Order: sequence, then structure tokens, then C-alpha cells
Amino acid sequence: MTRRAAKASPAPHTTVVVLRLYVAGDAPNSLQAIANLEAICAEHLKGGHRLEVVDILEDPRRAMAEGVLVTPSLNKLLPLPATQVVGNLSDKKRVLLALGITPHVA
Amino acid sequence: MTSVQAGRVSAGLQKVLRQLPVSGLERRAIEAGEIDAVIDYGSANVIVFPAARRALRDNARRAAAAERKAALEIPGRNSMLAALPRAEYRRLLPALEQVMLKPGDVLHETGVPIRHVYFPVDCVICLLTQIDGQQLFATGLVGHEGMVGLPVALEAGASPVRAVVEVGGTALRVGARRFANELRSGLHLQRQLCSCALAKLNQARQIAACMASHRFEQRLACWLLMISDRAESPDLLLTHEHLAAVLNVRRESVTAASGVLRAHGLIGYSRGRISILDRKGLEAESCRCYQPLPLRLRGAQQCLPVRVAQ
Repeated sequence: MTRRAAKASPAPHTTVVVLRLYVAGDAPNSLQAIANLEAICAEHLKGGHRLEVVDILEDPRRAMAEGVLVTPSLNKLLPLPATQVVGNLSDKKRVLLALGITPHVA
Repeated sequence: MTSVQAGRVSAGLQKVLRQLPVSGLERRAIEAGEIDAVIDYGSANVIVFPAARRALRDNARRAAAAERKAALEIPGRNSMLAALPRAEYRRLLPALEQVMLKPGDVLHETGVPIRHVYFPVDCVICLLTQIDGQQLFATGLVGHEGMVGLPVALEAGASPVRAVVEVGGTALRVGARRFANELRSGLHLQRQLCSCALAKLNQARQIAACMASHRFEQRLACWLLMISDRAESPDLLLTHEHLAAVLNVRRESVTAASGVLRAHGLIGYSRGRISILDRKGLEAESCRCYQPLPLRLRGAQQCLPVRVAQ
């Protein structure tokens, strides 16, 4: 399962945030992580992002190439510095911090 | 934000996890039940946690059940399968494979052993008989009312006709050997096949008699009605050239006969598409060889799923 969502970046986000989410098929935490991340992106990035969902059950070597150990695991690839959050992304503050977004600004 | 409560990590899994280089954050996420799987870099295996494994298994089971249910509903459109008792049909179900057929696809060649038996759902198959080792002409049509591959049931093996898709669509097929095995134990299937064989024999006789005695306009009207009944559509993708080939006449004869039917407002045609505009009129124009499919079969979608799609 590899899914890409690419949209043009509207103001005020001039930089596209590139994200890669590693999941394990349609396991509960993986589905939850997708739903939570989509909600955060819709609220705070407003389309100024590119998200790729990689299923490690189909392609474990791809996750290994990036040093991913557990799923769900969210990697922010751009803008640098690269960051990682693990778990079902229900801790919104931690996800925002990893994405470089401060809630009061967004 | 919501979170999913996963099951506790078992002692065995804890032991495995101890050997993996998980960081503090990852360990906390595992303990909080927020992790579905870990990757064991040593073996390049994915270790799925018990709660996630159960959920994946349940999801797969639900998807398989939905697929089976969908497969059960399709044969409602094939009268032979729909008429089978549920137990007999269920036994045949795992062997049935849904296929999409395109116009011109050859299902069986003359004289060649039959590999699959086909149950048309919304496609129409034309049976062509070879004469003088070259020329082929139509001696039968099969739609959702029947099946293609009767010689398998009669233990003849090789096909005496060439079966070609006339109108594309969906069909269910089963391997010839498997079908022959099912037939030995399926009493109702045997009865269905006897009826089908008799119907095909009568149809072939009627077509042969029709060719010898009726005007071509009548034959053409009859043929179009027969295809339309089986395709359940008044619009047919058929060229004059194709009709000339299967009805064993010159192309000019098809053009002339179609012109007469069009002039009477019975059909319309353009660019390989023939539309039946006045069905009653076309039936009146056709010879008596045209036998409409019984209402029970023509309304298969409404009448038949009762016994099968449960």
C-alpha cells in the first residue's frame, strides 16, 4: 500500500513538508496514525505537504533502508532537519513539534 | 485525537523485543500499545504484534467474506447456476472464476480439447460450425440462459464447434476436469445440463432449417433478436461484415437486408452499432424460428437470485 497525496502549497506555507508514514497494512494503530496525520495536515499544513504511506508488510526492505524499526512511524524528510515520530500519532503536540509547527502560530 | 488500545505485550514478545535495538521512545510507544509491528533487521522479518495480527486476520476474513458474497450474487444472472440448489452451487463455487470476455475472444477451437466450461453472465457466445474445413457459420448462441462447453458434460472432450464471444461481458468459468468431477455427484447439475443440451440441439436444428427455407431479412431479424435477448440490450456492437461471416452470406446481402429493416423503422445502425428500435415490429418481421427466451430467463435478475444469492 503506497499512497501519495501531493497538493500545491498555499500561503502562508511556502515550503512543502515531505512526509513518509510507515504502516503495517490496515492494523488498528496504522489506520489510526493515517487518520490522525491527515487531520493534522488538513488543519495545520492546509495542503502544503506531500505524504507517502508505505506498507512494511508489502515492502519491509524499504523501511529497513531508512532505518525504521517500528510501525506506525512518521518520518519528516523535508524541510530539514529530518525528524521521526513513532506510534499512532494521537499525541498531537508531539507530532506538531516533529513537523516544526508551533500550535499557537498555526 | 483518539488512540487505539492494543493488547499487552506477551512475555515471549518482550524477550524478542529485548534483543532489538529499540530506543526509549519506541519502547514507550510499544508499552502504550501504539505499535503494530517491529522489523527484525537480523532476519528482515516483520514481527506483527498480537492485537494487530488479530485485526489484520479479521479484516482479511471480512474482505474474503465480502468477496464470497459478491461472487454468490453474480450467478443470479446465469440461469443454470441460479437454478442449482444452494448446497450444490456452494460446492461448485470455489472452482468458479470470474472472467471478462472481449468480442472476438475464442473460448474453444473446433476439434481441440475443451479446457474450461463457461457460464455467461452478460456476454453472448456464438457457436460456429466449420464446413469444408474452412468456412464457419453460426449454429448456436449462448447467453445467460446456458453454458458453453457441453461436450465436457457429454464426455466428448473435444469441441465440435468454435466458440467465439459475440458480445463482450462477464462470464464464470470452471476447469473442464473439475466440472466433469462435479457433474458426477451433482444430480441437479446433470438435469440442468440435459435441458441445456436439448435446447442447444433444438436451436441448431432450427437454425439449419431456417437457413434452408427463410428469406435473409427474416433470418437477420431473428438473429438480432436472439442476440439482443441474451445481451439484454437493444444496442448491439455488430458490423455488417461480421454478420455476413457468421450468417454465411455476402456483406452486400447484410447491407441490403439491414436497409430494408431500417426503412421499416425496425432497426437503426451506424459505425458498427445496430440498435433495435421497434422490437415488436422486428419480431413480426422475423421468421417463426425466433423463440424468445422464457420470461423466467429474460428477467433473470429479478427472478433468480432468490435461491442462490443468500
